[in-house]
Amino acid sequence: MEDAVNATISEPLDIVKLSLGERVFMKMRGDRTITGTLHAYDAHMNVVLSNVEESIHIVDVNEDGIPQAPRVERRSLEMLFVRGDGVILLSPTQ
Amino acid sequence: MDSPASQPDEPQQPVAGSPSDFLKNIVGKKVKVRIGSGIDYHGLLTCLDGYMNVALEDTEEWANGRLTAKYGDTFLRGNNVLYISALEDL
Repeated sequence: MEDAVNATISEPLDIVKLSLGERVFMKMRGDRTITGTLHAYDAHMNVVLSNVEESIHIVDVNEDGIPQAPRVERRSLEMLFVRGDGVILLSPTQ
Repeated sequence: MDSPASQPDEPQQPVAGSPSDFLKNIVGKKVKVRIGSGIDYHGLLTCLDGYMNVALEDTEEWANGRLTAKYGDTFLRGNNVLYISALEDL
């Protein structure tokens, strides 16, 4: 099973190719994560996703400069184009 | 742990080869990839390309000395890579 997958991965972007039509998790610059269904990608890692949930991980700092407990802001988007230069990581979710 | 000055510790293997030879040699090995933000990704290096995009298998995300996430297959975009370190003998 693992070998069958490996045989089809000859370059890193093959992981993205194999994830077309699947739900993927993406870690982005600016403390954001995105999950969505992968519809299209290119060599820049520009990506088109549908049924997207974006999570923004925020650490507020109070008046004394003390960081508060981290919180997460979420929003849902039907269809999303992501510019490749913001991408850190992509992983298919199980 | 001090050794006589006349006999400095020899490296286990002679240092030879180019950076891309190193990268070829670590494919299929367990590696640590550090990205610019200081987060480490540990996993089995499936492959890399000329942009230093990296494919990892059985990936662990380590931040501030803590295991923060686990992924199966992972694509890491090359521009974020700071270094790639072998976690096992070549």
